[in-house]
Amino acid sequence: MNPTVRNVLYVVYGLAFGFTLSRSGAADFNYIQKMFLFEDLQLYGILASGVVTAGVGLWLVRRAGRTITGDPVSFSSKPVNRGNLVGGALFGAGWAITGMCPGPVLVNVGEGKIYALAAFAGVLAGTYLFGYLYAPLQRTFGLPELPAEVQGAAAGD
Amino acid sequence: MDLPFGTMPLILNDMQPLHWALSGAILGGITVLLMATLNTQLGLSTTFANFCALGSDLPYFRRSSLRVGGRWRLWFALGLVGAGVLSAVLGGGWTPTWNLGLFDTQVGWGPMGKVAWMFGGGVLIGLGTRTGGGCTSGHGLFGLATLQWASLRAVLSFMVVGIVTANVLYRVIF
Repeated sequence: MNPTVRNVLYVVYGLAFGFTLSRSGAADFNYIQKMFLFEDLQLYGILASGVVTAGVGLWLVRRAGRTITGDPVSFSSKPVNRGNLVGGALFGAGWAITGMCPGPVLVNVGEGKIYALAAFAGVLAGTYLFGYLYAPLQRTFGLPELPAEVQGAAAGD
Repeated sequence: MDLPFGTMPLILNDMQPLHWALSGAILGGITVLLMATLNTQLGLSTTFANFCALGSDLPYFRRSSLRVGGRWRLWFALGLVGAGVLSAVLGGGWTPTWNLGLFDTQVGWGPMGKVAWMFGGGVLIGLGTRTGGGCTSGHGLFGLATLQWASLRAVLSFMVVGIVTANVLYRVIF
């Protein structure tokens, strides 16, 4: 597919995905807290509906083995390691504190929530910190090795 | 049975939320479309690594999977920010706001307190999602939908800790 068409499609999907996050409660501070407090089940419903829809659809795509334009599809499996649990825990705390997960941080910035800019800066800083500390974190949590192409400069230690 | 779904207006212009089943179907549907049209696995936390890769030469950010293969996330992110603007404009108007709902009524800190709170929480999100290998989209939607063990572990971990954190914050401390 033409690269420009691909990029336009990514923007269009982002618009639809973000608009739905914005209007469903998934990018709403109160809905996030009420989910964790079990006072409103909206977001549990969204996750369940989303996983079932994606599960059926992706199963069909995998079975077809090709995109609708005939290119092969590739599903890569996510690495299982101690990082899943430890990183998941850090993210869970951050999600409850900010009331935003990574996609909704961007949606909230667009909506005009001024404090979302601080969350954006924080996520960027945390991501950079991870990159800076990659070597020790990789050893501690059994994360994947960096590919050979970037092995030239020693990472963080 | 009367379970509480969508019981309150959104912070954004006091709008009523869309139905949960429809919302989930759209989010799941786009996850499928990304794969079915562009051979792309949904995963949004890595977007922040793409941003870092624009300005950092640390080895972790120099991977071609990030610099070349991951470029799509920057376009998707443009859509996400644009969607926030569009959602506000079409739904009563775009107005910059510090309104933070439950935080305002129970914690009550001003703008500088909110900035510190959000920055600190954001650092946990950035560090946590990279260490955990994904967030609510990559692990929660794509990973669970493709029955991945890593994703189930991450989702259980972030849900449990999120539940504990929110309960401690709003039922014990504040």
